Amino acid sequence: MALIVEAVDLKKTYMLGKIPVEALRGVNLKIESGDFLAILGPSGSGKSTMLNLIGALDKPTAGTLLIDGVDVSTLNDNQLSDLRRRVGFVFQFFNLIPRLTARDNVELSLSIADIGKAERKKRAEELLETVGLKDRIKHKPAELSGGQQQRVAIARALANNPRFLLLDEPTGNIDSKTAREIMRLVKRLNTEKGVTIIMVTHDQQLAKEAKRTVQMFDGVITSDVVN
Amino acid sequence: MRTRDVLGYSFSAIKLRKLRAGLTTLGVVIGIAAIVALLSITQGLQDTITMQLETGLATDTLIVSPGAGAFGGGQDGGGFGGGALGGADSGFRLLINDTQTINGLSTDILTSTALIQRSGYINSTENERVTTIVGVDFSEYKNIYSTTFISESGEIPDTPDNNMIIIGKRVNERQNGTVLFTAGEDVQILWTNATARPPQNESYTAHVAAVLQEVGGFAFGGPSDNNIYIPITTAQEFFNTSECETIIVKLANSDQATIDAVSKLITNEFAGEVSTISSTAVLNLLGSVFSIIELFLVGIAAISLLVAGIGIMNIMIVSLIERTREIGILKALGMKSRTVLGIFLGESVIIGVIGAVIGIALGWVLANIVATVLSSGAISIGTGGGAGPGGDLLSITPVLTPMVFLGAFGFGVGVSVIFGLYPAWRASKLKPVEALRYE
Ligand SMILES: Nc1ncnc2c1ncn2[C@@H]1O[C@H](COP(=O)(O)OP(=O)(O)O)[C@@H](O)[C@H]1O
Ligand SMILES: [Mg+2]
Repeated sequence: MALIVEAVDLKKTYMLGKIPVEALRGVNLKIESGDFLAILGPSGSGKSTMLNLIGALDKPTAGTLLIDGVDVSTLNDNQLSDLRRRVGFVFQFFNLIPRLTARDNVELSLSIADIGKAERKKRAEELLETVGLKDRIKHKPAELSGGQQQRVAIARALANNPRFLLLDEPTGNIDSKTAREIMRLVKRLNTEKGVTIIMVTHDQQLAKEAKRTVQMFDGVITSDVVN
Repeated sequence: MRTRDVLGYSFSAIKLRKLRAGLTTLGVVIGIAAIVALLSITQGLQDTITMQLETGLATDTLIVSPGAGAFGGGQDGGGFGGGALGGADSGFRLLINDTQTINGLSTDILTSTALIQRSGYINSTENERVTTIVGVDFSEYKNIYSTTFISESGEIPDTPDNNMIIIGKRVNERQNGTVLFTAGEDVQILWTNATARPPQNESYTAHVAAVLQEVGGFAFGGPSDNNIYIPITTAQEFFNTSECETIIVKLANSDQATIDAVSKLITNEFAGEVSTISSTAVLNLLGSVFSIIELFLVGIAAISLLVAGIGIMNIMIVSLIERTREIGILKALGMKSRTVLGIFLGESVIIGVIGAVIGIALGWVLANIVATVLSSGAISIGTGGGAGPGGDLLSITPVLTPMVFLGAFGFGVGVSVIFGLYPAWRASKLKPVEALRYE
């Protein structure tokens, strides 16, 4: 299996004014293609920071992070955006563009990748069908439930056939029944479509669905077990 | 991201805040409309005045009058002022005979003719008009001003009898069209000799040989609708003078080099006691006066556009702050910084383009309204000077030159780019993680 993420002694320090906050204090992690990882840990343990680094939204302070064999700290602004296009990010608060319809939100991701209008429309509709929102394509986020919005966000994250899907507490803002549905969808993407999944969650139950569970505490990985 | 998609995204953001964007656009509209209206009216006014001047002017003539540099010489086309306004009168007078001296100065000089001018009256049994009596050699004058010194009725004789006169159109007709004198009629010419003690009223009976066609425009050495013309020999005798007010020189060429060379020759010949004006110089001067006026007007309008630009910057910064999170999302989706810049710049440019287009249209409408109001007689400017009967109405046709059109458009768009650049740059520099954390 191809190694798509490799973190070696990864560190991230934020400056809160003059006070340094060590969010990651030396993380070592390897993720292979097709993996399904659940990252667990208390609030403030550095889970989001880890995910942001893997998603190329931020740069590490020290250590090395290889994505597809490329050291992210060597990439410039343009190359980082290219990398982000190959990563699907799903956030706790959905982060859809409110003025755009479900389809336009998915299309946005495709138009950023220079895909033409006709192709975009077709793909967006297929993706929304995959996540079970075929009949909601013209709805704006405000007209959708939390679970439906998160499905749109997943469809958007999948738009450019990413190398892996990063989900930061995707079920944190939806009821447990819908959360299980989302979980089923994510799992299906992993098993049926072979999408690599890295998911941060609070929920021990949901974490059990993953192939592998990584436990974080205070900026380091404290356990890494295959379920 | 494709340019079309970038603009489409910009547009969707503008549409969301129609009122705000509309008000900002209004700022641009007002600035551009002001520029277009002011410039097209000024251009129209300049064209009107230039046209009126050109009808009365012949470009191959020089007008020589006493006084050093009274109105800018031909050689420099310069400004007003100089001898006539400053200092005392040197006592220099041009003589009718000086035409012979001038004729011998250069082969570029085809001919020259002297003009004696006095104000006086022309009377028939029923009518009396105040006018300027001009003594001139009819055949020479006809030769120089062949397109304007033309009779409408009667005939301009080459070798006139002493008592023959030619009447300008305006002297002959009231504004309402009433004809006062007719060719073939006998009239009285009156003049008060103010240098005699006591001042003497002089008069003689003249015969109307011709009435001139309407010249229109400003008389400037050339034939005027407000003058009457008598043979120079008669004028010499009647006004008892051998001096003249003006000598008109006809040149072989109307190019600037000839004008400059001949001007210099004449000025030197009379030891700087005369000044020469070419019609080209007058037109140039007019042109430069209008350039200054235009610059001034554009300057004022540009200030309003500057304010509009600050308005654009203001809403773009507000928009930037409101949409920080959105920018974070776009970047997380892999949008390049320069595309983010393009989206924000696109928004201000769309405002600029719409503002400029509406502004040009509105400015043009405004210019036409103002021109119509002016032409309908709210304001009237007399042409041809005080001696003549009533004034002409000033009719302006606004002119929108391609320069003004493109300039206004470019200016509007330019302002939107310049003032949109900073907010767009700030948007593009946002870090994705920080932008996403923004509440
Ligand atoms: N942009 C930031 N600036 C300053 N401190 C930050 C920033 N992001 C995260 N932190 C801090 O880093 C630590 C780890 O945060 P985070 O990775 O978000 O934790 P988790 O997602 O596990 O709750 C926390 O103490 C948090 O306050
Ligand atoms: Mg977190």
